[in-house]
Amino acid sequence: MAESKSDVLQGTLDLMVLKTLESMGPLHGYGIARRIEQVSANTLSLNQGTIYPALLRLEQRRWVKSEWGVSETGRRAKFYSLTRSGRKQIEQEIENWERIATLARFLAPSN
Amino acid sequence: MDWIRILLSRFAALFRSKKLDAELDEELRAHIDLAIEENRGRGMNESQARTAALRAFGGITQIRETYRVQRGLLGLEEAARDIRYAIRQLRKSHGFALTAILTLALGIGAATSVFSVVNAVLLKPFAFRDPDRLVVMRESVEDKARSERTAIPDNYRHFLRLKKGAAATLEDAAIFAQRGVSVSPNGDHPHIVGAITASPNLFRLLGVQPILGRDFAEGDAKKGADDVVVLSYEGWQSFFNGDTGVIGRTLRIGGQPTTVIGVLPPGVRFPQIVLAPKIAFQEFARDALLFEPLAPSERDLNADMGNFNYKAIARLKPGVTLAQANAELEALQNAYTLSAHLPLHFGIALMPLAKDVASGVSGALWMLFAAVGAVLLIACVNLANLQLARAVNAERETAVRAALGASRGQLARSRLAESLVLAFAGGAAGTALAFGGVRLLIALAPANIPRLDEVHVSTPVLLFAAGLSIAAAIAFGMLPALRSLRVAPQAVLQANSTRAANTQESRRTRSMMVAAQVACTVVLLIVTSLALRSFSHLLRQDRGFDASYVTLAQVDLFSPQYGDSSNTYKAAKLSFTDRALAALGQLPGVQSVALTSVAPLTGETWVDSLTRPDHPVPAGKEPAINVRWINPDYLPTMRSPLVAGRNITDADRANPYVALISERTAREGFPGEDPIGRKITDLVPDDKHPITVIGVVADARINGLKDNAAMVYLPYWAFTPWTLSFLVRSSQPSDALIPEMRRAIWQIDPQLAIPTLKSMDEQVSDSVASDRFQTMLLSGFGAAALFLALLGVYGVLAYSVSLRRQEFGVRIALGSGKSALIGLVLRQAAYPVLIGTVVGLAMALIALRWVHSLLYQTPVMDPLAVGGSVLLLLVAASIAAIAPARRAASTDPMRALRME
Repeated sequence: MAESKSDVLQGTLDLMVLKTLESMGPLHGYGIARRIEQVSANTLSLNQGTIYPALLRLEQRRWVKSEWGVSETGRRAKFYSLTRSGRKQIEQEIENWERIATLARFLAPSN
Repeated sequence: MDWIRILLSRFAALFRSKKLDAELDEELRAHIDLAIEENRGRGMNESQARTAALRAFGGITQIRETYRVQRGLLGLEEAARDIRYAIRQLRKSHGFALTAILTLALGIGAATSVFSVVNAVLLKPFAFRDPDRLVVMRESVEDKARSERTAIPDNYRHFLRLKKGAAATLEDAAIFAQRGVSVSPNGDHPHIVGAITASPNLFRLLGVQPILGRDFAEGDAKKGADDVVVLSYEGWQSFFNGDTGVIGRTLRIGGQPTTVIGVLPPGVRFPQIVLAPKIAFQEFARDALLFEPLAPSERDLNADMGNFNYKAIARLKPGVTLAQANAELEALQNAYTLSAHLPLHFGIALMPLAKDVASGVSGALWMLFAAVGAVLLIACVNLANLQLARAVNAERETAVRAALGASRGQLARSRLAESLVLAFAGGAAGTALAFGGVRLLIALAPANIPRLDEVHVSTPVLLFAAGLSIAAAIAFGMLPALRSLRVAPQAVLQANSTRAANTQESRRTRSMMVAAQVACTVVLLIVTSLALRSFSHLLRQDRGFDASYVTLAQVDLFSPQYGDSSNTYKAAKLSFTDRALAALGQLPGVQSVALTSVAPLTGETWVDSLTRPDHPVPAGKEPAINVRWINPDYLPTMRSPLVAGRNITDADRANPYVALISERTAREGFPGEDPIGRKITDLVPDDKHPITVIGVVADARINGLKDNAAMVYLPYWAFTPWTLSFLVRSSQPSDALIPEMRRAIWQIDPQLAIPTLKSMDEQVSDSVASDRFQTMLLSGFGAAALFLALLGVYGVLAYSVSLRRQEFGVRIALGSGKSALIGLVLRQAAYPVLIGTVVGLAMALIALRWVHSLLYQTPVMDPLAVGGSVLLLLVAASIAAIAPARRAASTDPMRALRME
């Protein structure tokens, strides 16, 4: 039970990371974390650190790639960007989400 | 394919973990730095900015750990840790570890050795094209005695018709005969090698192509053109030392120059195919080194009855089943029997090649395999018991680990890791032992096991050993591992002694395992003692002849002057035989010299039917008899008594048409009559002269120890056979006599082969080699099983006594006597042993039905074997139980109580 719940959360986080990289272009971990915090407007309270296992997961699936670069403030940091299969994955994930959203509307109390 | 990528990148990460760790730290530092910078930009001071950054990040250590797990190979690091831990634990108790590894090594080594034989003899496909489609084709006739059909060898004429007719189901069929021929490559004394005379399509049918020279062509199979030979690879090596210019050279086979036209590739071994299931030839149990074309004789082409001298191998068309082919061939045989008005109704008997070749030994081999499996199983149960005891001992540690947050999976895994380490070490040692074991088995194995030269530790055998080790680890490691899942930390940690460990439940588990061991052992002991009974019966029953002080020399007259193409061959054979008998009689210490046409104990041969002119029976209904050509000294030399009439004497030489018959022949051929003076016919080749029965000889197990043969003995003056066996009775030991005999024979004709020259005792012993092999291996396995079961009973009891020390102390303090305590422990041992014995007896009932066919005249419910086995086991179990029981009784109550 507990596993399936975290699976959903993991999937959500993965999709948000992918989406962030899609809209923002190459970004370091801190940037991604901050962006997600802003977008979700604190509905998703997460430790920024959890972004790193997620990034590794995506990298292992070859959806994102990473390289060392320099931040706008001159600090050496690892930058992540989407791969081609990552872009494709976003479409698929969004489709999944839309199906779930439809279901959610259907299940919602109708008042 | 995602998981492959993930696995690959995780695997790669394994080897770079240090660098990756550094990279992660660098990345995380950058994250914090960037956060601090931003926070400071919002007006925080240095320390506020850092605190806020760290708070927003969450636990750095946890993140690092999650990241590492994500990066690493699915718990491989953890597994490595478990294994390191297990090795440390095992080193601490090296006595246990050594016992366990040794037990396993012996079990796995024995099982692997036996499997390598099973694999080569029964499982490995032949090195022919699509060997699954090859079948051995025999004809069949009705066996009136048992109202079933018996397979018989093939008749050439029948074969030709079948091959032509069976167009729907057979792709091809080849006919062949297997025999021994004498070869003298360098003009030395010749020796006898196995040869196959086959229709020229044999190699094409098998899918074998010569590596040198050519295959047989149809033209080779004609009288006059058939003096060509294809050598097997081994034959090429031994006759021509692998000379590549061998094609066109001459090899003298039976004195006839023969041209070598081809050499077969290495590894192509033609299997031993028996003429018919009930006919065993020792002399043909040689690998075929030569292949010659079969040029059919007039008799082959014209005889419909008799001349069943061939074997046939056929290839089924793809997709055709054995039953379909059988039906088509059976219909052809039926139609021909009717249209040709044959007096016998012929049918067909097909058998897949692999099954046919293994048919004589598969039952025995599978039984040995089952026996060695049972030994391994008992060994595993022993180890499971030991492991369980260790798990119970380690319960406190397990509880502590559980309390500190180890998951149930982790706990079970670390227990299982110990078993895996043991199994790996045991498996490796066992595989090493198997190399020696296989050699030992080959050395012990009787020559009649087919494909024995293919037995070696091969890849499938190694895979088997590996699989076996893993299975063993699971078998004996599962229970303790599962047990550690059930440890309730609180209960264990609160209990302040190890008494918690000796719960009713774990005691029951251990007793059950002892019972299982005892049950397996009972079955194995019963089978072993039955095999021993059967074997000793075979050796000790009355044979009807006396083999001691007799030496056997078999001589084959395969040189041209004895061959039927020479005009004087009859005289040549006769004169050689006379001279040899005289020369052997001159050797020192010789009392008598006998001649017989077939070496004793080499199976049914020269089987003919007993025809009586005064009492005609329909063709095919006559009793079958074995014909032997002997001299007058045969009966005295073999000490076979005459029960009626008179022996052959030298006076019969002028009119040699006299015969001795055995009691069985008298019973079957002359029921209720006096055979003396009766006539029989058609036993001397190409001679219709009636033969007078002059005597009846006591039955003897002369063809094989398992059967009294139906015999007809005729003097060699009527017909001198091409294979002669001289039996020399002498006061000299065989070892001294053998070189003398060889010299005497070669003095008469140096170009004769002497394929067999040994004492008759050796001949007797060789003839029961497969029974001895089976009995010997079974005894070994039975002894091993008994020993292991003994260890099992002792181990469990000793352990339980050591746990119950305090209880015994209290009992003694309260006035319990020593004998009462001994009784208590023995009773505890008695339950599993008795239950196991009963279960074992029930299992034996089932197993023995299957074993029955492997025993010789031994009832499966032989009271001595069954009772003896149970008694032996109970005595052994009592011995194993008495030491722990006495230890319990000698508990010092004061010390035991102070332990609290």
